[in-house]
Formats: sequence, structure tokens, C-alpha cells
Amino acid sequence: MAVIGVARFIQQRQDFEDSIARSYQTEMAARVRIAQGTGGKAARVAVHQQIRHRSELRDQISGDTRDTALLVAAGLIAGLTGALLLFSGLISSMRRPLEELVDAAGRLAAGDRSVRVEVGGLSETATLGAAFNEMAAELEIEEGRRDELDRLKDDFVLTASHELRSPLTSVQGFAELLILERESLTPKQVETVEVILDNCRHLVRLLNDLLDLARSDAGRLLIKPQPAEVAPLIEDVVRTMRAQTEAGKQSLTEEIQPGLPLINVEPARIRQILVNLLTNAHEYSPEGASIGVSARSLGAEVEIAVSDTGPGIPQDQLERIFERFTRGDAGLTQRVGGTGLGLAISKSLVELHGGGIVAESTPGQGSTFRVRLPVAAAVTSDGGQSRAAAEAS
Amino acid sequence: MATILVADDSETILLLMRTRLEMAGYTVETAADGQEVLDRVADGGSPDLLLLDAMMPRKSGIDALRELRAAGSEVPALIVSAHQNPGDADAPTDLAINGYITKPIDFDQLLETIAALTA
Repeated sequence: MAVIGVARFIQQRQDFEDSIARSYQTEMAARVRIAQGTGGKAARVAVHQQIRHRSELRDQISGDTRDTALLVAAGLIAGLTGALLLFSGLISSMRRPLEELVDAAGRLAAGDRSVRVEVGGLSETATLGAAFNEMAAELEIEEGRRDELDRLKDDFVLTASHELRSPLTSVQGFAELLILERESLTPKQVETVEVILDNCRHLVRLLNDLLDLARSDAGRLLIKPQPAEVAPLIEDVVRTMRAQTEAGKQSLTEEIQPGLPLINVEPARIRQILVNLLTNAHEYSPEGASIGVSARSLGAEVEIAVSDTGPGIPQDQLERIFERFTRGDAGLTQRVGGTGLGLAISKSLVELHGGGIVAESTPGQGSTFRVRLPVAAAVTSDGGQSRAAAEAS
Repeated sequence: MATILVADDSETILLLMRTRLEMAGYTVETAADGQEVLDRVADGGSPDLLLLDAMMPRKSGIDALRELRAAGSEVPALIVSAHQNPGDADAPTDLAINGYITKPIDFDQLLETIAALTA
């Protein structure tokens, strides 16, 4: 309609200009006759007629222009409305499948591999939907396979570590029997049995660590947290470690802030973490080094820090220290009996408790491992309201 | 001195247990599975303590203890488990068990526990 309007407008404009030109020609001819004195009254009338005629033409053309403009405007509005209607139809026919796709993609990303979309609508959205379904189906199969492999791996590790325990019990038990008869053994024999026992203990640690990791991977590493006092936990671990640190002529000190709140933990697991950290501090530090355990209240958490004055950990190793089978400097590793799994497990365990663990180190000066654990209830170990709990409430 | 009935399907473990417990002065009887434990008790055996492996063929230590308890026996019983943590797999909560021992066995701890239960 707008195009018709514009075409009509151009035609009208041309007609108008032609008419105006003709009118001027007629007027000029009349004026020539007047000037020549041959026109007389008729010529003067003709001049006035042409002036009037042009005025009429102008009125008419402005009226026509207005009409045409209105026509063009109406055409434009009608066209726009039509386009809008067409568009909204198009958009709504695309919108629903797209919304469904967005929703399905979200669920797929969140782990629901069984999600599928209805394939329909425009050919583009239908193609997109079909492609999405194909991808989801492949992911589902892939994940099924991976789950199955994971299950097999976890079962294998669980069974293996379980089955290895019985023979290990015998080897360790009989080696211990020999050591009990120490007086009737030659020094060489005692040394031999000590080696067997050392390796038994190492195997046990390896088995326990592997089992913990397999459980952690399978989501089967579970803890039963209960309110526990911090000080006895640390004192117990320090007592256990004392023999080893004394053998290495290392000092082992504890510094526990008085009146710490109870923490919500499984004590055996916290003991395991602290033994891991202290064993590392002991094994990686030279003779005469200082090892310290400290505990302090930190808002709604208690921080237990294990620090040593050992060789420290270079920055590049520090970043990967909580990864599996990552160990410190190879030169030291030779005499270090760890499994390379201790820190990875410690991290899993701390996080299972809802806490966190970080490592800090200045190479040449020592390392500090900080474990943060959540406070249990609003009661301190000596019975009063804890400062942390009071602040929290 | 107290009599301890030890049940394990591994002869090596039984030999180890017998040796260590006899060294500590206990009288030791052994059984190869849970059924043998029940048979001995039925035959009039009255051990002062049971040391039962959690998993044995024919009848597990747990099942044997369950039957003994059902029959009214209150003999102290320790369960030996190859699981790392007692609560992992084979720890029934509805059964009166006096303690868990995990493999490999810490004999110092085991002897301490036995001494406390047979005192």
C-alpha cells in the first residue's frame, strides 16, 4: 500500500509540475499579447485565470500530498503491523522449543542424562532438538559405561584391600612374634625382622589410603561427626608421634588456645589427618628440626596448624601438594615412607567435615599446614558459652 | 586364667592368635567357623570370651553370635573384621558386641581389651 501511495505521489507531482508549467506558458503567451497590444481584455482575463488556476492547482496538490502522505502512513502502519504479527507468530513458534531446549540443556548439565526434548516446530528448532537428543543419548551411554567402570574399580580396590588384610595380618603378626623373642635372635636377625615389620606397616598404610581414596571416589567415604574436644585429640596424636620425633632428635611442641569450643568431627578421622600431617613434618624435616601443633578459635571454626622448620616446599610443588601421588623433593622421598596419598586423603576428609586445608611454605624455613574444622555446639570444652558461638548467635 | 574361644577360617591366623594369647597366659580353643563355635558351646564348652572373625564360610562370627545371644548367652565377644573401620560393612547395631578388632591386629590393644573383659 505504501508503495502504491509513493508511486501515486510521484505521478501526481509530475502531473502538477506539468500543469504549472503549462499554466506559466499560457500566462506568458497572454502577457506577450498584452505587451504587443494585441491581447486586449481577453489576454488580461487569461493572465488572471492562469494565476488563479495555479493557485487552485497548488491547493489541490497540497491536498493530494496530504492524502498521499496519509495513505503512505497507513500503508506503513499496516505493513508494520503485518510484519509484527508475522514475526510474533514466528517467534512464538520458535520460543517454546527453544525454552524447552534451554531447560533440557540445564538439566543435562546438572547431571540428568535421561533428559530429552520434543522434536517439532520449525525445521531449524527441530534439527536442533534432534541433535540435542542425540548428544544426550550418547552422554547417557558414555556415563553408564563410566559408572560401570568406576564401580568395577571401586569394588576391586575394596575387595583387594580387604583380602590383602588377612595375609598381611599373618606376616605382621609372626614378625612381631619373632621380635618378642628378641633375646634369642642375632642382631642381624633382629634387623631383618624390623625390615619386615617396617614394610608391613607401610603396606597397611598403603591399603588404608587406597581404600579411603576408593571410598571417597565412590562417594562411600562417610563420616559420623560428633561434638569433640580439640585438646585431647591433639595431645593423643602428639603422644603417638613422640617416639618417632624423638628418634629423629626433633622437638615436638603443642600450643592449644584455652577454652576452645567443641568441634563437630569424627575423632578417628581427625586423628588420621593429624597423624598424616605430623608424619610428613617428621619425615621431611632433618634431625634437630622443630615441629609444632597449634590450635586456635577462628570464628565458627577451629584452626589446627601443623608447622615444621624443615626444608619447605617450592611454590610449584605447593600448588599440587594435595594431588594424589604428589610428593616433595625426590632426594628426600628416598627415605620418606609415605604413600603419596596422605594429603589427598586428608583434604577429602577435611572437606567431608565441611572444613578446609591449606599449605603455606617458605623454602628453606619450613612449612605450615592449616586445617579448619567447624565448631560443634554453643558450648566450650569447659562448659561455658564459647566466644565464637556467642558471636555467631 | 580365662579361656578364649577363637574362630577364624585361616589356620595361620588361628596359630598366630593361639601363640600370642597363650604367651599372655590364656587358655585357647579354636574353631574354623561360626557353626563350630555353636557346636562347642552346645557340647558344654563355656569360654570366658569369644574372638570371632566377622566373615567365615558356613557361618559368620556375626551370625554365630546372633544365635548365641538369642539363646540367652552373655559371654563377652569381640568381632575381628578385615574392614578398616568397624562401622564399614559388618557392624550390626542390634547385636551386643563387646568390641571390634581390625586387621592387621594390634596385639597390644587386643590384649588390653581382653584383659578388661575377662577381669
